[in-house]
Amino acid sequence: MKLYFKALGLHLKAELEYRMSFIFSFFSQVLVFFSYYFVILAMFTRFDNIKGFTMYEVLLCFSIIQFGFAFNEVFARGIDKFDDLIIQGNFDRLLLRPKNILLQVLCSNSDFIKVSRLIQALIVMIIALINLHIKITLIKFITLVLMLISSIAIFFSIFVLAASYCFITVQGLEVRNVFTDGGKQMAQYPIGVFNKGFLYFFTFIIPYGFVNYYPLLYFIGKKSNILYAFSPLIVLIYLIPCILIFNLGVKKYSSTGS
Amino acid sequence: MSYIKVDQISKTFKVAKKKSGLKEAFKSFFKREYLYVEAIKDASFEINKGEIVAYIGPNGAGKSTTIKILSGILVPDSGKCKIAGMIPWEDRKKYVKKIGVVFGQRSQLWWDIPAEDTFDLLRDIYDIPNDKYQITKKNLIEKLNLKDIINIPVRQLSLGQRMRCEIAASLLHEPEILFLDEPTIGLDAISKQVVRDFIKKLNKEKNTTIILTSHDMSDVTTLAKRIILIGKGKVLYDGSLQKLKSNYIKEKTINIETNDKINTKKKGIKKVTKTKKGYELVINQDEITINQFINYITSKVTISNIDIEEDNIDNLIVKLYQDYNI
Repeated sequence: MKLYFKALGLHLKAELEYRMSFIFSFFSQVLVFFSYYFVILAMFTRFDNIKGFTMYEVLLCFSIIQFGFAFNEVFARGIDKFDDLIIQGNFDRLLLRPKNILLQVLCSNSDFIKVSRLIQALIVMIIALINLHIKITLIKFITLVLMLISSIAIFFSIFVLAASYCFITVQGLEVRNVFTDGGKQMAQYPIGVFNKGFLYFFTFIIPYGFVNYYPLLYFIGKKSNILYAFSPLIVLIYLIPCILIFNLGVKKYSSTGS
Repeated sequence: MSYIKVDQISKTFKVAKKKSGLKEAFKSFFKREYLYVEAIKDASFEINKGEIVAYIGPNGAGKSTTIKILSGILVPDSGKCKIAGMIPWEDRKKYVKKIGVVFGQRSQLWWDIPAEDTFDLLRDIYDIPNDKYQITKKNLIEKLNLKDIINIPVRQLSLGQRMRCEIAASLLHEPEILFLDEPTIGLDAISKQVVRDFIKKLNKEKNTTIILTSHDMSDVTTLAKRIILIGKGKVLYDGSLQKLKSNYIKEKTINIETNDKINTKKKGIKKVTKTKKGYELVINQDEITINQFINYITSKVTISNIDIEEDNIDNLIVKLYQDYNI
């Protein structure tokens, strides 16, 4: 863990080497984020609600997903950019070091610019929470925290899964964007607003539903079953097979070398 | 018991066949044809502790594959390999603490930050105790003359400076074995010299076993007493450089400056050509030694200068490759 934070510090140092670039990118990120945000605002000036979800409910959902995604971009960029490691041959170097491979991959890259998104996501979340006028009980508070954690976990799992795909081939990596960026776009809205097919896909295949739909229903008082409140925990279980698949990929790599 | 024992390792790669042309590209999109490339085939050799071995061969001969197997990155399809009592690919974390690897064409230093920061990170990666780390680092800085360059972002360093930092980075954990994959590629003459001297010293002082690949034959001649020649995945020659030389360099060119006329039919002298100041002669050392030749020639003519051509190892290698048809 100490190693990870040290590497993180060095990435920050490296990024700050290019001061102007850092400042400009930081602010351009702010603009990009607000463009997403305004799409939602614009939509709700036309409609009161989407399938029974109000604007602030959607914004809450949106901010939680953005938070998880940005968190991974800052702290787990290496796994997102894993194909670079393979293509440039730097993955070999990791195999030559006496530390866990996944940890080293995490240490290999970081995108501090995205801290701006992280902050913005939190701001939007707070705005949404204030305007939702929900009485926050202890369980609801836990639910919210679990949603944030599971949002981080789900994107991490998908990144790890996509990285494992690099062990098979580095071609056709666009496929993974369907699950990461595509999934992110979908999951910004409560999955229930889409048709049943999507709901099932994003519940059972990639469990976005457990990040922002089922717990959200509990949080905003649409469901009172306590299982809904703790449903994000399922996402944490989802992490295990993803990491196992990655480790399998590492094993396979050493027998093919490609 | 030898320190490194490689026994009949083989490794075959499956590569997708690529043909030129759009039509072929479409075809291969639906039906892939694979080619099996034997990168290394039944290679065996043993290396003792403290040896410097040069591993040479043309591009694509299987050098990198072997280095990758020895360093535990790749697992061979068959064969055994035991290094320092361990099987490289089995207990990866424990094994890699004993080895250092320098890839001449790939950097392990962080591009945008000074090399010293990378060193500090490596200390944590290898769990080197701090006091020991400080001593090793100080030592390396001194010997590789890194004092002035260690605090500059790596991207601003010259290739030679960077390579010195690379080598230092690979030695911080004081490995018992050092793999050098083309350590002097692209370096200028002075940097090459620094790197070579350092490697020699390291081997002498710490008894580090060094396995080196290079296309630069002067690397090989100055560093290694023993060479392993590999071609088409097979070990073709394993032995001293000296022996290889005497086996292969039979003909020698000698330039003589003289005002007299040389007109000889002596056995062993293959070719006589007139030059500006004298003659150029080619002798076959199997039939006449240099000593015999000089005795003979001085008895015939008065010479003002004699120049015996250095053994050109590059030519030797070219000849070797041709002979083995690789």
